[in-house]
Amino acid sequence: MLSSFKSEWKPFEDLARSFAAKELAGKAEEHDRYPFGEFFHDVLDKACEVGFLGIMLPGDLGGTGGSVGTLCTVLAALCRVDSSPGGIIFTNALAQELLLAADARDIAGEIFGKAPSAGEFLIAFPSYSNPAHQDNLPEYRRSGRGYSLTGPVDLLVLGGLARRAIIPARSGPKRQCSFFLIDLDHKGVSKSEPVFTLGMHACPAVDVRLDGVRARLIGEEGKGEEYFDRVLPAMHVVAAAMNAGIMRGSLDEALAYARERFQGGREIIRWSEVSMLLAGMAVKADVADMCVTQACQALEQGDAGWSSRCAAAALHIHEIACEAVTDGIQVLGGNGYMKDYGQEKRFRDARQVQALLGSVPARKLDLIRKVAGV
Amino acid sequence: MLSRAEVSNRLSGFPRFEDMSLSLPYAPRMPRGMVRETREVVAIARTFNDEVARPRALELDRRTHEDPDYMPLDLVELANRWGFYTMWIPRIFGGRGYNMPSMSYFAEEVGSACLGIMNVIGVHYLGVAGVVASANTRLAKRILGEVVRGEKTGNPCLIALATTEPGAGTDVEEVELVDKGRVACHARRVRGGYVVNGTKVFISMGHVSTWTVLYAYEDLKRPSETTVGLMVKTGTKGFSFGSHENKMGQRVCPASVLVFDDCFIPDDQVLFSADMVRKFTKKPIREVAQRYIDYVVGATRPGVCAFGVGAARGAFEIALRHASTTTMNGTLLINHEWVQSMLAEMYKNVTLGRLAYTEANYANSHRGLYKILQLKPVYYYLRLMPQAYFDKVIAPMLEKDYSTRLMGKLSYDWARPEDQRCCSGWASLAKVAGTDLGVRNCQMAIELMGQTGLRQDAGVEKMLRDIKLLQIYEGTNQLNRLNMFKCLIAPEIPQARVFEEDR
Ligand SMILES: Cc1cc2nc3c(=O)[nH]c(=O)nc-3n(C[C@H](O)[C@H](O)[C@H](O)COP(=O)(O)OP(=O)(O)OC[C@H]3O[C@@H](n4cnc5c(N)ncnc54)[C@H](O)[C@@H]3O)c2cc1C
Repeated sequence: MLSSFKSEWKPFEDLARSFAAKELAGKAEEHDRYPFGEFFHDVLDKACEVGFLGIMLPGDLGGTGGSVGTLCTVLAALCRVDSSPGGIIFTNALAQELLLAADARDIAGEIFGKAPSAGEFLIAFPSYSNPAHQDNLPEYRRSGRGYSLTGPVDLLVLGGLARRAIIPARSGPKRQCSFFLIDLDHKGVSKSEPVFTLGMHACPAVDVRLDGVRARLIGEEGKGEEYFDRVLPAMHVVAAAMNAGIMRGSLDEALAYARERFQGGREIIRWSEVSMLLAGMAVKADVADMCVTQACQALEQGDAGWSSRCAAAALHIHEIACEAVTDGIQVLGGNGYMKDYGQEKRFRDARQVQALLGSVPARKLDLIRKVAGV
Repeated sequence: MLSRAEVSNRLSGFPRFEDMSLSLPYAPRMPRGMVRETREVVAIARTFNDEVARPRALELDRRTHEDPDYMPLDLVELANRWGFYTMWIPRIFGGRGYNMPSMSYFAEEVGSACLGIMNVIGVHYLGVAGVVASANTRLAKRILGEVVRGEKTGNPCLIALATTEPGAGTDVEEVELVDKGRVACHARRVRGGYVVNGTKVFISMGHVSTWTVLYAYEDLKRPSETTVGLMVKTGTKGFSFGSHENKMGQRVCPASVLVFDDCFIPDDQVLFSADMVRKFTKKPIREVAQRYIDYVVGATRPGVCAFGVGAARGAFEIALRHASTTTMNGTLLINHEWVQSMLAEMYKNVTLGRLAYTEANYANSHRGLYKILQLKPVYYYLRLMPQAYFDKVIAPMLEKDYSTRLMGKLSYDWARPEDQRCCSGWASLAKVAGTDLGVRNCQMAIELMGQTGLRQDAGVEKMLRDIKLLQIYEGTNQLNRLNMFKCLIAPEIPQARVFEEDR
């Protein structure tokens, strides 16, 4: 849908839609059974093959060299059908953007330049938190020529799948934050079973405990929060695009159901109460698309002053998405609550997506501090 | 000052004072014993939560994901041992006879630990309400007697209630709609009983219940005038179970598909039919059927509100614990002003929800299904007389036709329509309020807790999955809003029509 605002995004949207139709449609529930069912390695490999795991990564580093708009277009189209692959792509993009923000092109080149498979291409990252708000990050210490990390990392997304992870850690009396690259096969890394979470089951996370794990500094020491802040505006919009897609999917299914389902002697869409629910969803889905597009265009043009607007747009889109998916269940009545339909998954996924990049209240406080300059 | 007549006149204007503030006139009429009893019920629920519900809720939820065929037989057995399946069955039927409103407090408590487990206990009382509201005392005595015996012998006997069909969910909640709908569960009159064909879906606890209150229709074109209520025993020839649903939440409580294929139900298991109704009232069967539905949902929807309040409270309690033990920027969350405000808001939601079910229960206690039980003399009589008296003296009377006729007259002929509207409207109001507030609190807790809130082992994400169901069953909240309009607002507006919207 986003491509209706900007035709350059159309080929990517078409690609993502055909990918979703072929690899995801009709299988979302099965994929979502993880960790109690199989993980969809085949889908992930194919996503890697078509370049979805490196959309914003420059071509010379092994990526596709797309813009934030391209990534948003692809994620919205995928999440319309199943958001778990979206979560994986999001997390990987976040890790890549951090490397670029820290000007660690050498590391990025080493990893992605020769990554033959999805497993190599993936980088785990704790993408549900903003390190600036985390009091219990691992500690880092200098050790020999490098560093070592010790401490817990909760909900390390892709931690069970990727070989490497980017980890924020703190040190010193000022508790300054830096990012590090670690090898998840290191003997000092102990991982939990996949954590069972509300949504996006096929974008799994693990809890990790680090014990003197060898680590490579990314960018400069103490600049972790600055790097994270730099990638935040775009990544906020990317997360918002995921929820715009989820909302669109919820509306698709609700509309189709309301046209077919009879109660009280007519298609339920002909009861104005149901129409009102649908209208509310349609308004939200359209507003979300417009917000995402506008934000992408501003980001692509490098407009000044858009960083807090991006955060604002994302907060708003997540909020209306969580409302829309609730109504999306409601339109289907009892069926909406069942895994035979897609609505219950969207209801869970939308909340999960909302939680990307840190808690909502913390993000709101950040926003107003920036806007007010306090 | 105003004269009495003037006061009455003023108070009968919309909103009628009688309907808008129920606790004011009714609280003083409440037997004092109810307070003590309710305190005991809450204490029992809290004990159960500590010993069973809290320790097991998350583990069981996980297990149902690992094994989608899980059936809560162990839980049912436990609840049976704790006496929960007879706790709110009146003593005249051999039950423990705790006052009905106390069940809401119980539901809030257990619901705050696990809605799924609460449903495993509570849905049975939807069945009980279906039996009792029929006025058929003979059958009520027999079925409820089995429940009581099931408790004594350790073989749980539960009652499910089946109205929803694949093609008719909202429609079967309303006689206004059912005739326009596509009901397909057919009861054919034959010698000595009925033969039923059709399918029911989403029937909570169907697979693990011994009896099902089944609603079917003699004429599928005129369902509102030909509704029959039948008691069907699990194992009866022609009655089988299909799958049970793969739900988002409340996964310990199965929702079953029931299939009836030339299933014969003998006359002595007919709970409700046009023929029976004619014995006690001349009112049109359609009207009686609506009142019957209203009695059942009028009594059970405040219970659903209490479930919702339970989840609202559970979410609040988890968020409170989290905020008291987690820091942000070096300060405990609980000492951030925004957190205090959020927690206060959640506490407010819990309290408002509780007020809603309390008011709705006052409606039922004084103007609804169990109003006789709540009259002081009747209440104390039922509490104080020895059980042997009920078994020996009252029980045989329940078998008699006159007993059903009397109950029928009381419940259907002599009940005032405005009382029925008040109970049904308040029940819908409470249901919508409690469940919406519950959803809201779960969402707020998840937001407050950030990434921790997403984890199943933190408990609150399960609550969100569980509570979403409450906005759907016992009529969607959309249907319940319309019912509120119909019962509490429309009667004042002569030109208002409900469920008759132009296309
Ligand atoms: C887990 C679970 C357990 C359940 N347990 C039981 C049980 O034990 N026994 C039982 O009998 N039933 C049970 N139900 C069924 C439940 O009561 C129905 O799901 C509910 O009444 C809604 O019906 P439906 O699912 O057919 O939705 P539909 O009636 O198809 O409704 C779909 C949508 O259309 C709307 N709608 C329909 N008609 C109208 C109208 N006239 N005006 C405006 N809007 C309208 C609804 O509000 C809803 O948004 C259960 C359901 C679930 C999910």
